[in-house]
Amino acid sequence: MDEPTLIRRAANGDAAAWEPLVLAHQQAVFRLSYLLLGDPDEADDIAQETFLRAWKYLHRFDPARPLRPWLLSIASRLASNRRRSAGRYAAALARAFRSQLPPSSVEEKSLRQTEADGLWKAVQALNASDQKVVYLRYFLELSVAETAQALQIAEGTVKSRSNRALEKLRKIIQRDFPLLLKDMTHE
Amino acid sequence: MNEMDFETRIGSLAGQMDYPRTPDIAGDVMRRLRPRIGPRPFGSAQGKRLAWSLTLVLVLCSSLVLIPPARAALIEFIQIGIVRIFKPEATPPPPAPVRGTPTTLIPVTVTPAPTAQPLLPFLDRILGETSLENAAARVNFPVRVPAYPSGLGRPDRVFVQEVNGEMLVLVWLDPQDPSKVRMSLHTIPAGSWAITKFAPTVIEETTVNGLPAAWATGPYLLLLENGEVELTRLVEGHILIWADGDLTYRLETDLPLEEALKVAESLQPLP
Repeated sequence: MDEPTLIRRAANGDAAAWEPLVLAHQQAVFRLSYLLLGDPDEADDIAQETFLRAWKYLHRFDPARPLRPWLLSIASRLASNRRRSAGRYAAALARAFRSQLPPSSVEEKSLRQTEADGLWKAVQALNASDQKVVYLRYFLELSVAETAQALQIAEGTVKSRSNRALEKLRKIIQRDFPLLLKDMTHE
Repeated sequence: MNEMDFETRIGSLAGQMDYPRTPDIAGDVMRRLRPRIGPRPFGSAQGKRLAWSLTLVLVLCSSLVLIPPARAALIEFIQIGIVRIFKPEATPPPPAPVRGTPTTLIPVTVTPAPTAQPLLPFLDRILGETSLENAAARVNFPVRVPAYPSGLGRPDRVFVQEVNGEMLVLVWLDPQDPSKVRMSLHTIPAGSWAITKFAPTVIEETTVNGLPAAWATGPYLLLLENGEVELTRLVEGHILIWADGDLTYRLETDLPLEEALKVAESLQPLP
């Protein structure tokens, strides 16, 4: 059964049709939430809430459109609200006393993973809107059109915002993570 | 390196990102959808937190409402910048809520109590870590750092948190034990957070460079409000709070008051 059909059935209250759609998109929604929040538990929380909200408002969604950008749009808004909330900061503080994660060891990570972590840290120095466009375009590999739908902006705006974000990112990397660019010269 | 090379490099690095395993979101969502025909329980972590927040806010509000007028008149608070501290009564109530303290309401503070566990894993998970220079370029207020005690140096960790405004958190680690936090300094712009502390064990009014300040030691209830979420937590440790213009400073330290005042009064713009 194709996605538009599943969406129509789910919009009519068929929960069994909603489950394969959740399965198809849960990874992308979870990963975007994780990138924005940096915490797998909170990302799980946001991802669940995303699919519950989407289910609630599915009757307003045009089944002819791709579902993923809309889901990512909801997840992005929910994650932004969570990031802004004082509750999140306090919850992070509380978790510090509950979780005893082993300190991460750079040596245990592959060079590639270390580089990816470095890039993630660099992206976190961007403002929220620039972060989102970088995550959607380069981490989740959405097209310009999909990114535009997810961010609810024009495709031209996606392009200009991407260019602006990359320019800022380049400066941040050159200043704080120069090794990320240095490796490139050896490739 | 031209723009296209850089963009290709970013795409390549981003593609190497190692994400945590995606949990069974579909299973959890379907389980949560089924009972929606009936009353929806607080299922999510946020829901639980909100539930506890509302419970505690209700407990606190109820206790204030139930105070007879004569006693209510005795309640005072100190307002320092965006922080409002309610003074303890003669016989302060126990700091923890009476019924079933949830696990999320264990004592928390950036500067740990002496018995607290190391915070480094936690610090690694706070969003918004950046360099001091980048933070200074990003926030809309001047970044000031303490020059006292001598040899303190630059903060070891720097975070900028978006909380309806950008709050700067500077963290110095204990040089003898870098797994512990020695001191932290929050710089909070007006309009971002409103913080209310209820009945700390000890509270003392003082001044920082002639400006009103408060010195409080915990544990005490702390309400954070940003217009969207209220959450209550317990804080331990010594806190010096003062305001200078539109900025509220919050210094967490285990230093005595006299030393904390020297730290506060030594704030200087970044060189």
